[in-house]
Amino acid sequence: MKTLEAAGIALSLSVAASTGALAAPSCGTDPVTVSAYFETGFPLAGKLAAEFSNQFPNVKFDIKEDQFANLMENTPRLLAGDAPPDLVRLPSMSDLVANELLKNLDGYYTDFGWDQFPASQLIQLRVEPEGRPRGTGSLYAMGLNYSMTGVFYNKELAAKIGMTSPPTTLAELDAILAKAKAAGITPIIQFNKTNGGLAFPLQDLMGAYGPPEPINDWIFQKDGATIDTPSNLKAAEHLESWVKAGYFAPDTNAIDYFAMMSGFMKGDGLFMFNGDWESGNLDKQMAGKAGFFLMPPAEAGGRHAAMSAPLTYGIGAKAPHADCAAFFLNWVATNPEARKINVEIGGSNPGGPTSLPIPAVAPGSVTEATLAAGSVIAKENGAMDFIANATGAIFSAGWTPELQKLVGGRQTADGLLKAVQKEYEQELSR
Amino acid sequence: MSETTLDDAAMRRAEGSPLQSTGARRPRFGRDQRKLLIAAGFIAPALVMYAAFVLVPLGMSVFYSLLRWDGIGRWRFVGLRNYLIVLTDPDLLQVIGNAFNLILYFTLIPIALGLAVATVIRGHMAGPFGTITRTVLFLPQVIPLVAAGIAWSWMFASTGLVNQLLTALGLGPLARGWLGDFTFALPAVGMIGAWVLLGLCTMLLVTGIAKIDQSIYEAAELDGAGRWQELVYITIPALRQEIGVCVTVTVIAALASFDIVYIATAGGPGISTMVPGLEIYRLAFAHRQVGLASALAIVLMLLVLLCVLPIQWFARPKR
Amino acid sequence: MIETRSNALVARAMLIALMAVTLLPFLSMLSAALAPSGSYPAGLQWPSDPQWGNFVKAFEVANMTTLLWSSSLIVGGVVPVSVLIATMAGYGLSRIDKGRGKWLYLVFVLGLTLPFEAVITPLYYEVKALGILNTRVALILPLIGLFMPFSVYWMRAHFLNVPQEIGEAAEVDGASDWKQFWLIQVPIARPAIMSLSILLFLWTWNQFLLPVVLVQDPEQRTMAGALGAFQGQWGTDVPLLCAGALLILTPTVILFLIFQRQFVAALLQGSVKG
Repeated sequence: MKTLEAAGIALSLSVAASTGALAAPSCGTDPVTVSAYFETGFPLAGKLAAEFSNQFPNVKFDIKEDQFANLMENTPRLLAGDAPPDLVRLPSMSDLVANELLKNLDGYYTDFGWDQFPASQLIQLRVEPEGRPRGTGSLYAMGLNYSMTGVFYNKELAAKIGMTSPPTTLAELDAILAKAKAAGITPIIQFNKTNGGLAFPLQDLMGAYGPPEPINDWIFQKDGATIDTPSNLKAAEHLESWVKAGYFAPDTNAIDYFAMMSGFMKGDGLFMFNGDWESGNLDKQMAGKAGFFLMPPAEAGGRHAAMSAPLTYGIGAKAPHADCAAFFLNWVATNPEARKINVEIGGSNPGGPTSLPIPAVAPGSVTEATLAAGSVIAKENGAMDFIANATGAIFSAGWTPELQKLVGGRQTADGLLKAVQKEYEQELSR
Repeated sequence: MSETTLDDAAMRRAEGSPLQSTGARRPRFGRDQRKLLIAAGFIAPALVMYAAFVLVPLGMSVFYSLLRWDGIGRWRFVGLRNYLIVLTDPDLLQVIGNAFNLILYFTLIPIALGLAVATVIRGHMAGPFGTITRTVLFLPQVIPLVAAGIAWSWMFASTGLVNQLLTALGLGPLARGWLGDFTFALPAVGMIGAWVLLGLCTMLLVTGIAKIDQSIYEAAELDGAGRWQELVYITIPALRQEIGVCVTVTVIAALASFDIVYIATAGGPGISTMVPGLEIYRLAFAHRQVGLASALAIVLMLLVLLCVLPIQWFARPKR
Repeated sequence: MIETRSNALVARAMLIALMAVTLLPFLSMLSAALAPSGSYPAGLQWPSDPQWGNFVKAFEVANMTTLLWSSSLIVGGVVPVSVLIATMAGYGLSRIDKGRGKWLYLVFVLGLTLPFEAVITPLYYEVKALGILNTRVALILPLIGLFMPFSVYWMRAHFLNVPQEIGEAAEVDGASDWKQFWLIQVPIARPAIMSLSILLFLWTWNQFLLPVVLVQDPEQRTMAGALGAFQGQWGTDVPLLCAGALLILTPTVILFLIFQRQFVAALLQGSVKG
């Protein structure tokens, strides 16, 4: 075995030597078809792939798309199958790394000089060999961009109830919600069908009541971490009080993500907890009518925190065109045209080396607001990964059913956290 | 070519029947042996396919159900522990309960409605109207269940036809997102199944009732029997085989449901519409608990058998 | 007499109501399919500006021609082989019905009520080990096996009803068993074979669980499996989804309308025996 490996290394070294002094991996010049598995409804990845093919005509993409819930179910099977995709949108990484289904990107990190990226950007993409904890160890994925969540609001509806500026404390937010409810406006339109979309406001509330670090520890599967903490309980109780006050649409459990988007753009609700990946979309379809603010802290002047995670893409461990996929991921972060697409369509920070400028955006746009919010989070070190990414099944087996029960009045705040923690421990004990 | 042979054979059969009885007295031993061998040759290809893709996987399912295995890494033998979990975990018990709950809708509604229609028609559906009825009522049997799931997800959506009709009838306050409602999601899924199976059961029962001798009803009416009595004492006993078929088909459809739930609710809200079929798929491929998934699969298979065998026994033809 | 007539009217009204309930979901889908792509239309309304183009778009994005071809290939792989070997086995089993071979029949019956979910996990690993994951063969082979219990049961029931003398006469005539089977038994069994073929065609075409698990590429799937993938990819656009769903269920509906009598007979008998 060892000799074989050594021979392989020697061979690849000699190939590298013959093609030029340690040239970084690329797509070469022969026709290549990169197979990709993307998430439905988010055009960014497809647009980037199209532009890439435009710049490198020998590269074609064979793109399959699926909705997030299917993505979570299919990815392990797909990566373990006979035709693993080269490029895949990853809902969660830990189990995939533990099962050796993802390619270790440390080599590319050196080849492409990703050490020039801010280290904090890549923390969430590092995993220890056994799959846990996350946050340290080898690099197993890259972000297409680095997104962040907060609260979008409908400016027209806000004006109707006299909301002139975004709330700066949680109490102010509560007051606005009550006012909207009294005015007959649905205060929050949020999806909760198939996937527990209430995880967005819940995690924002967690960030408002407590520091983000313990939440990250839990997501990264550090030993002894728990989601059932006193401050998280306060957050969950706060969410429960919103449910009880009728701040969510009564059919929240029947609203899926895209129904929420369509409803928000139609003016069916004042607030929507969502991520900056929709900024570009809202700027186009709701130009000038949508605003964004970060979840306000519980106390005035407190620290802001937000769910902020890379739009994670990995490469299959046995992917046939791994080099080309890696080259694509590097290109996304560094190519000026790609960065422009990233901001315009993706609405998020394109990441990449700090030396590169962030492409300009229209003043007064939602994208401008979300990018500005991103720098607040960076400054206050308030980024949290998504609580649904803690394990491969925690979203579908934990958060989603429990949050659906919470909205349906069948679960308490305390019961929610305990049930999710129990599922988490069960999964880690496997 | 073949036709002449067939005719010849048929002719010889007619002439040859006396011959045959003497032939039957030839020594049996060798003949039986040979007969068995030839039959085995005919059966072998089907048996091979059946063994390879049903019996072997079934055996593997039993084996997996004794393991703790994530489907990729190393496995560990855990005995019957997975079965213990299936039979004690409250969530999994609810999932199994949901499947039984679906029987209410998948089975009762089509049979009740089918019986109602059959007793009123009490005869063949002839003519163009009969043809149209048969064609329309069978449509749901012909389309994929996935399509039924998509169509009804749309019917039950917040802006869907069901709510539209309720509002039109002045029942607006009843309108809701049916598939996201804890109380109504499972009944809504059940209604989808009822819709799919309704036509089949109706047609089976209508066909069955047409075979009942009409004079029995006439005699009963002369004796002053009411409709209800006719139904209980004549129709249902006479249709026991057809009803047995309906119950069998619909109970299996309810217990082993997958397609409709996968499309319409994905098991939500909470786990209020999760069924064993979908849970097996999720456990095995998304949650990577192949052992537990397999134990649930075996339990599901046994539950179906446990439900179907008594029905078969009740509905067995009277000799 | 009067009662019969009023009965007939009541029956008609009930049937019309049932038909309306059966057809409404299709109508609702059609009305949604004609709404502007990407919108959230109301349940049932004739759109002011019907967007027939949605069907064209759905036809293109769903790659309907490829799907039709793929489903036909799968049906072509499953149905003839299943029918052939099931007819053989049904015949064989009917000949050893009273004897030591009876248990063989019971082995087949054992699989009659088997939910496919009960074997889907091991099937995945088996198909993977055979190296045919993600190909149509991954559907064809397991489906043939899974359809065997019903098919064999069905054909055996037919052959049991064929008078023994037919075969025995030929035997006396000296025809080989194989020849006898082909030239005498199979032609007599034609109606049973026809019904079985229709049922297997429908079950293959509409099979969902196997393609979802065993074949990732929608273009290698059955129609139902492809519809599942279509929903995954385009489910976010209600009009397009409804247009696609209607397109995907059209081929079977057309075949059903043409062979209405045979389909109905097959489905009725199929359930009676199954």
